[in-house]
Amino acid sequence: MAWHVDAELLQAYEDGSLTPSRVMAVDAHVQACAACRASVPAEAAWLDRTWLAVADTLVADRPSPVEWLLRRSGLPEHRARLIAATPALRLSYFAATAAVLAFAVAAAHTGQTGARVTLLLFLVLAPVLPVLAVATAFGPPADSMHEITSATPMAGPTLVLWRATAVVGPSMAMGVVAAAASPGPGWWAAAWLLPAFLLCAGTLALATVLPLPTAAALLGGVWVLVALAVSTSAPLVQGALFGPAAQFGYLLAAVVAVVVLTLRRRHLDPGESR
Amino acid sequence: MTTVRMRDLRKRFGATTALDGLDLDIGVGVTGLLGPNGAGKTTLLRCLATALAPDHGRIEAYGLDPADSRQRTALRRRLGYLPQSPGLYPNFSAAALLDYVAVLKEIVDPAVRRAEVRRVLEEVGLSDRANVKVRKLSGGMRQRLGVAQALLGGPDLIVLDEPTVGLDPEQRMLFRALISRLGETRTVLLSTHQTEDVGALCERVVVIRGGRAVFAGAPRALAQLADGQVWRSAGRPGGGAVYWRTAEGDYRTLGEQPPDGVAVPPSIEDGYLKLLGPAPAGTTR
Repeated sequence: MAWHVDAELLQAYEDGSLTPSRVMAVDAHVQACAACRASVPAEAAWLDRTWLAVADTLVADRPSPVEWLLRRSGLPEHRARLIAATPALRLSYFAATAAVLAFAVAAAHTGQTGARVTLLLFLVLAPVLPVLAVATAFGPPADSMHEITSATPMAGPTLVLWRATAVVGPSMAMGVVAAAASPGPGWWAAAWLLPAFLLCAGTLALATVLPLPTAAALLGGVWVLVALAVSTSAPLVQGALFGPAAQFGYLLAAVVAVVVLTLRRRHLDPGESR
Repeated sequence: MTTVRMRDLRKRFGATTALDGLDLDIGVGVTGLLGPNGAGKTTLLRCLATALAPDHGRIEAYGLDPADSRQRTALRRRLGYLPQSPGLYPNFSAAALLDYVAVLKEIVDPAVRRAEVRRVLEEVGLSDRANVKVRKLSGGMRQRLGVAQALLGGPDLIVLDEPTVGLDPEQRMLFRALISRLGETRTVLLSTHQTEDVGALCERVVVIRGGRAVFAGAPRALAQLADGQVWRSAGRPGGGAVYWRTAEGDYRTLGEQPPDGVAVPPSIEDGYLKLLGPAPAGTTR
């Protein structure tokens, strides 16, 4: 090789005082010339750190869309990662929820004589969907890694409540959009929200005594049976299910459920006796 | 030094008694847990790993009582656990899965987490599979990944439920080297059906039957339970013994001496079989 990096050029290269084009020329040369490469001082620890950072970048998975959204919403990176692994926060769950709601809305629009009944069915169904989300947010059988999770310091009420909140939020948001798109009196769009809140809080409170899927099935099942029976009754009775007095009752019951959940929250830890 | 004490542990699942007043002390080193299916091994490990609360009794590990919620969390910070069915998320890469478990173990700083993930991947020989999805790993590799997640954070207490399932002989050797290294400074409790693993790895062995510890001692002591009751003979033994035909064409018998039987040293398996009671007369294995 005819040309080599002399001491003066090497010093300027080290100092970072060369123009970009000359830096590129020196870079290209030292890659090809072992003698000049050996003369470039390198800090082994820095080099190791740099290579590890490069390797980490290459190996690192891109965050899932959910994790990306959570990070963009201001959650710390580790918290976003923890919540994004929630089984119910998967596209398949949201697709199924959206499909059910879209079907209910479409049926309400196309139905003629039975439109009111269809809308009532929507009101019956909508509060149950967030409960299903909570039931699949943690624990067996939804979370295949539940056993490993249970033995970590993050296990317990904090993780459960983070995950439940993370799944209930999007479910409720989809329900609100579907309700707004449905025909009928304006209050219908919000009539299911308090029952949904009650069922979610009630499920979590009951999960301090029973396994979560059992609690969800019990409360969700009772709601569907009662609401279906009422929705096929006279309009007066239907009003009793979603009217102001009933809504106030749901609110009171939800407050009781939240109090019970707060007092018994440690029982959401799998290592706690029930 | 005793690091884990269990006293009068009881656990029922409906009509089934899984633990029935179990007492056990274990210390630094590798302890093997043997027992027939349904003996209560997994329930015991789940209780120690704080994934399940016993109905009755007391556990104390490294001075911490998992019945108390604060102490339970403190114990979880010093614990590594590989359950029988780890259920590793199939769509996660090996590195992403370990990163997720590291978050669960409160390793919040991303740089520290990445270094820890690299370390455990190297420990189990999976560095070159870091970005491979779990569903594309072989059964043995998944098992090693399961062990890797248990090692995150450098736990003092390591609980492994059948960790050698699915490992080929070479992987099993690597695994033994890893576990014996860990056992130099930590408390390792592992359950297995492989008596060879117990002989090769464990300083101490505990045999469980019916939810109780029926033996706790050195593997050699377990083997000695069958002293003077293991024979080799050219002819087929009569009734009253467990026997099988060996690769050399003669018979190995546990029990009464066959007519031409010559006494041979018992194995851990012989002691285990002897301890768990007589097999039906004249049975082969």
